[in-house]
Amino acid sequence: MARVTVSVRDAGGHTATATADYTIRRQPVLGGYYLSGGADPTADMAGGNFRSLTQYRSFADGYIFPGYNRPWLITLGKAGVMMNMVLELKHYGAPDGPQTFTVDGTTYTVPAPSMTIQQRSGTTWPKAYGYGQVVNGQCDGLFARALSQYRTLGFGVNIQLASEFDTDHEFGTTEAGVAYTWAQSDARAVQAVNYILTWFKARTLPGGTTFSVGIAGFNRDCFRRIHPEELMARLDFLQWNAYATNASHTALARFRRTKDWAVADLGPVALSRPVLIAEWGVRVAEIPNQAAWIATVPAAIVQLNAEGAPWIARTNYFNSGWGTLTPKATGLAALRAAYATPPYV
Amino acid sequence: MATPTVTAALNGSVFTPGQQMLLTVTYSDADTQPLTVTIVITDAKGNSSAPVKTTVVIDPLTLTVTDDSGRAWARVSDNGAVAVYRSVA
Repeated sequence: MARVTVSVRDAGGHTATATADYTIRRQPVLGGYYLSGGADPTADMAGGNFRSLTQYRSFADGYIFPGYNRPWLITLGKAGVMMNMVLELKHYGAPDGPQTFTVDGTTYTVPAPSMTIQQRSGTTWPKAYGYGQVVNGQCDGLFARALSQYRTLGFGVNIQLASEFDTDHEFGTTEAGVAYTWAQSDARAVQAVNYILTWFKARTLPGGTTFSVGIAGFNRDCFRRIHPEELMARLDFLQWNAYATNASHTALARFRRTKDWAVADLGPVALSRPVLIAEWGVRVAEIPNQAAWIATVPAAIVQLNAEGAPWIARTNYFNSGWGTLTPKATGLAALRAAYATPPYV
Repeated sequence: MATPTVTAALNGSVFTPGQQMLLTVTYSDADTQPLTVTIVITDAKGNSSAPVKTTVVIDPLTLTVTDDSGRAWARVSDNGAVAVYRSVA
């Protein structure tokens, strides 16, 4: 309990005081999960305090909500699991020509994606709908299709636009034959995000809908560029991912890194937003005892939240890629134990 | 001189981190009176200036706000009887 005391004093030294008491209630942080391949996580979550889930969908896909063969997402959502739906302009590799489809009686034609991202040398660069295509209205049909499906879910979700803009832009992007630097790509992405937010917010959305932008959070300049205050005023969460990939990595340091940049570089609107950790994980190659590392996470989150805004509100373990739990049963038991302790309860 | 009075009211009792908190302070003192003073200057020949009015406050109150959690409160408004302060949970 905190107390604020007000006193008045006149010229003669007569005083009067009044007090008002208040409490800052920290809601439990939501412990969350993701299972490789977007597979059904119900069995892994059963019996544990899992209250949050990350999912990935491409706007190019015809099945976004709940997703192809994913009726369990509706079951979990109606049971109160908070969904973080990562919706990407990235194309996941299905045939990438133009699409013509009908949504609620309106027929849309969307051109083939015209941008490449994640342009790491020696790799095949993934395609994505271009930021220019978005702001020119060529992708409106994709948004209409997603919204129409979203309205049938029966609950609100957080829509995270992009998975990791820094990963997407790290080596520049190319749209319609024009190359853009990392910084230029960030600026173009902010324009596209604003377009998408305007499109969705102009329409009736399910109650509880929130929005965020996706970023891994490994580059300070990119993190600052992606979070202008005018954009943050339209978003509900800050977001970054946290991975331990070196034996020297502590949970406190890994969750803190991007937070420190946020505190130093972002404005008051951004810092007023809670933080959604869409992915966190421990890479077993460098940290064989994943369970021991996972056990240090609750105390790290408690400390970071005690230090002040922005407040970490959800942490979703990424049981895939770098975060793959090995052995799975041991890792899951550690997650369950972590999520059974403060700040998760 | 009279003893002043003050009340303090928050816009809630339980706040979540990041939430805006508003503190409304209502205060008064029977001695605190605004007076309007009208001044007319007259010279030796009896020529008078146009009247000039000015306002003074007798025994104004000094208001202070402290918080035992160390939270800072910023004044949003103050009209001499009601002051509003803002902080963030």
